[in-house]
Amino acid sequence: MEPRDLGSPAPWRRLLASRSFAIGGVLLVAIALAAVFAPVLAPYDPLRGNFRLRLSPPGPLHWLGTDHFGRDILSRLLFGARLSLAIGAATTVASGLLGALIGAPAGYFRRLDEPLMRLMDALMAFPAILLAMAIAATLGASVGNVIIALAIATTPHTARVVRASVLVVRELEFVEAARSIGATETRILLRHVLLNCLGPLIVRLTYVFAIAVLAEAALSYIGVGPPPPAPSFGNIIAGGRDFLVTAPWITIAPGSAIIAIVLALNLLGDGLRDVLDPRLRI
Amino acid sequence: MTRTFGRRTILAAGAGALVAPSVLRGQARGGDAVLAIVQAPPSLDAQVTSAQAARNVNLHMYETLFARDENARPVPDLASGVHISDDGRTYVFTLRSDVRFHNGKRLEAEDVVASIERYRRVGASPSLLAAIESVTATKRDEVTIRLKEVQATFLDNLSSPRAPIAIYPAEEAAKPANQIAFIGTGPFRFVEYRPDSHVRLERFGDYVPNPNARGRDGFAGRKEVTLNSVTFRFMPEAGARTAALEAGEIHFVESVDGPTARRLGGNPRFAIYRALPFAFQVIKFNHALGPTADVRFRRAIVAALDMEEIMAVSYPDIYQLDGAWIFPGTAFHTLEGTGPYNKPDLALARRLLAEAGYRGERLTFIVDNLRSNVDTATVVQQRVREIGVAIDLSVSDWPTVSRIGFTPTGWHFWAHGFGIEPFEGPGSVMAPWVNGLSQQRPDPAIDAMFAELNRAFDEGERRRIFSRFQAHMWEQAVAIKAGNYGLFQAATTRLRDFVPYRIPRMWGVRLDA
Amino acid sequence: MLLAFVLRRLGGAGVVFLLVSLLAFLLIWLVPGDAVAVLLDAAASPEETARLRAALGLDRAPLEQMLAWYGGLARGELGHSLLLNRSVAEALLERLPVTLSLAALALATAVVLGTSAGIGAALAHGSWFDQALMGAALFGLSVPDFWLGLMFIIVFALGLGWFPTGGFVPFSESPVGWARSLALPGLALGLTQMGFIARMARSAMLDVLDQDFVRTAEAKGLSRRRIILVHALPNALVPIVTVIGIVSGALLGGSVVIEQVFSIPGVGRLIVGAILARDFPVIQGGLIFLAGVYLLVNLIVDLLYAVIDPRVRLA
Repeated sequence: MEPRDLGSPAPWRRLLASRSFAIGGVLLVAIALAAVFAPVLAPYDPLRGNFRLRLSPPGPLHWLGTDHFGRDILSRLLFGARLSLAIGAATTVASGLLGALIGAPAGYFRRLDEPLMRLMDALMAFPAILLAMAIAATLGASVGNVIIALAIATTPHTARVVRASVLVVRELEFVEAARSIGATETRILLRHVLLNCLGPLIVRLTYVFAIAVLAEAALSYIGVGPPPPAPSFGNIIAGGRDFLVTAPWITIAPGSAIIAIVLALNLLGDGLRDVLDPRLRI
Repeated sequence: MTRTFGRRTILAAGAGALVAPSVLRGQARGGDAVLAIVQAPPSLDAQVTSAQAARNVNLHMYETLFARDENARPVPDLASGVHISDDGRTYVFTLRSDVRFHNGKRLEAEDVVASIERYRRVGASPSLLAAIESVTATKRDEVTIRLKEVQATFLDNLSSPRAPIAIYPAEEAAKPANQIAFIGTGPFRFVEYRPDSHVRLERFGDYVPNPNARGRDGFAGRKEVTLNSVTFRFMPEAGARTAALEAGEIHFVESVDGPTARRLGGNPRFAIYRALPFAFQVIKFNHALGPTADVRFRRAIVAALDMEEIMAVSYPDIYQLDGAWIFPGTAFHTLEGTGPYNKPDLALARRLLAEAGYRGERLTFIVDNLRSNVDTATVVQQRVREIGVAIDLSVSDWPTVSRIGFTPTGWHFWAHGFGIEPFEGPGSVMAPWVNGLSQQRPDPAIDAMFAELNRAFDEGERRRIFSRFQAHMWEQAVAIKAGNYGLFQAATTRLRDFVPYRIPRMWGVRLDA
Repeated sequence: MLLAFVLRRLGGAGVVFLLVSLLAFLLIWLVPGDAVAVLLDAAASPEETARLRAALGLDRAPLEQMLAWYGGLARGELGHSLLLNRSVAEALLERLPVTLSLAALALATAVVLGTSAGIGAALAHGSWFDQALMGAALFGLSVPDFWLGLMFIIVFALGLGWFPTGGFVPFSESPVGWARSLALPGLALGLTQMGFIARMARSAMLDVLDQDFVRTAEAKGLSRRRIILVHALPNALVPIVTVIGIVSGALLGGSVVIEQVFSIPGVGRLIVGAILARDFPVIQGGLIFLAGVYLLVNLIVDLLYAVIDPRVRLA
């Protein structure tokens, strides 16, 4: 097996040819643009409502209706996309860093493997929702705490992905070669091994992003997400739970937005996987 | 005006001479009622909890010596009467002779003594009984309580439903908190408790409705039961409660929202009851920290708020705009001193804010995750944003919020309901502000008024004290009362003779087949 | 060799248990407030709160509570709930059938639908049918399960009235009621996990169909049906089984939220309620229990894996 070189043009060309990647990419860019330009696009202040217009159904004034404060759902969705994407991105970065930090030594140094992986098992056996609830009860619900909880919850699997790649790469000839010319273990790990695990890691992190968007919604729904009045998707859905009969539009719109983002990320991930990590075919 | 405390004897109206004919006599018994309540009772040991959800269930199973009548006044329940000594410090209670516990044992004085002693050890509101010097069983059916000092509110306290001073059999009263068998004297007996699902009670066959009382009367009165059983199902999801009622799975819903009440009200199969007023929506200030320590800042917030917006969002269609710190329709209700209430004036608010020297520091509004409280906090946050006050909401669960809210740091605003306090009367409304408990800085004026109220036996005198307290609350903006709110309760029309009260009483009602 | 493998895994599980319980204690120490707050209304004074705390034995030092808890665990006791009037073991055991029913239904939905869709897609490789099935699988992966549950409530419970909006009917009380009460939450959970299994099944099947022995069978002129059922399918099942382990983990987490949405009195809701009420013995016991289930499922999956595929080294 040859070490993959992300710098060469071939993978990128193959990536652009991938239909999954193209559809997912376009969709995600569109959503990201909507989020970035939310202050321009949103017809109303997402936080300020007019209580005389509470629970208005979708219509010309409020395309997606209003919630029980009389706040415009469309405006809240646009700003909500910012929050969801920001939480997703931050979780992805954190999970990637922690996963590499734990997975790489575990795969490379045999003595560290067992203790690190048992710790990861313990975290995996701890449902993320309950962990987030405990954190929210301790520190109060906040965006930062949501990211901490999601990072903790997604790191074990990321670490496993990195570890598995490292186990393979460790035995390859070019690593042996580096060793034979006297490179230190740490240097080999950082320079050669980690670089060659990037493919699977990037694929995994695309899915982490998707998982984070889904999990943020679930956390907000049970009341431990970003505190109100933040317009996160989960908060909007939670705000509609008492009005499923009288105002179902509050619940339907944000769910559809979540599906769009997660679908885009999954498509993107599939495209990346086909190119970067052909061994995986889930 | 002073009034000496005279020797008096309180006996229930009707006084045993005339046994009121049962309103329900001759009616068929039967029916298994299922009620949807929002929260599960945290404990079925009635003495150790003051949560509303616990009262719903516990006050069907347990009774007290005195209990509140329909107008929240104390009347005899397990006692047939009380004799109060000339100096006002000795209360001699005579027990009814026809009362049995659910285990078949007859109620005796030793049970009452053991129960009151237990309450003083582990009860949730020991301050209710703080005036007691001694409790003794002076006869088999006579209990004598000696007070350390005269207390005008002693019978109010003894009959408080808050964390009821429930009478248990002596052997249960010997057990630690939360470890008793659920045995009381009430019209229903305990059958089973399934956490996160339901509590089931059944009619207590040997129950004797209080012969001294006439008809249903608050927590006291004649508790006549026709139902075979009552099941309280815990249903936190509003949609699920309504759907279950419409599907005929349950017969009564403790609380439905406004739009649903309107929809169900149009259907002849359902009856809608309005329990209004049920509670106050209150916004507390921390007087020990930052800008909220300054009365001008607090007044600025009062001036900024549109109470109608708060109430209409938090309690759609079931609120009253009322600045009085007691329920309308009660003897103590007056609008005196409520001038600043609901006069939204952003210009005035800005001026007061400038006087207070507020410099844009971010303030913390703590709130538990109950929807209506979060709604109130959100409306306040967005409203005061317009006068330049920056508030962050800190939403957490009740244990965390109530832990922070009774400390002098970590919060500036805190919103929650006051329900049982105004029901109990002026003393209970004032108590949370005594010694600076709720505002975190003692207010000598309130403390003095509270002491006066405790000494005053004259109703007119008590009214004057309370209206001074009310004026003080608004003038100093000690806290904000946003309005009264209620509950829409919905039931199948098969449930007959239901009258809303502090809890959904299942005595005096019947369920048609 | 199998025994050695199981013993080694059990040893590892012991370490994980210890870590989980330590993590739980850490959280409990950090979380402010205690069960007394749930018993009292907002007007309780700090003195009243402190008295009741002492009456309930909640004023002991954290270390003392922790040692007492491990002592109990050594005797096989999980302690007594502060609020539910029963032991933690009883509280868990009475919820177990509920959560197991829900998880079993969801898993059955996910496995049956997912495997059939995946194999169907593999057999029709490259056709519109394949693409449609995989599109649906991807869509399923992208839907939040609790939101799907809410949609089901709007349509099938509130709109059409076919199912209850929530609650749970024990099987012993009414089998039909049991099935109706679990249908919507089970489907919501199962459908969102289905996509994962479908994608895995398709890829496993494609791998197998590509292998020499299948080609040989084809060359020998065996019927396509026989090739698929006898040769390809058993081999394709191996990776599918491993995915079921992952899905089971996801179901445990997912059931916590779904139990909230549908007011189902399962283990997840027990623990959520315990966190909200600071019923520490239940939190501790519940987390240990969930970890145990998780580890057990993964152990079974690994064993199954070893049994179906003898090439797997158990070292």
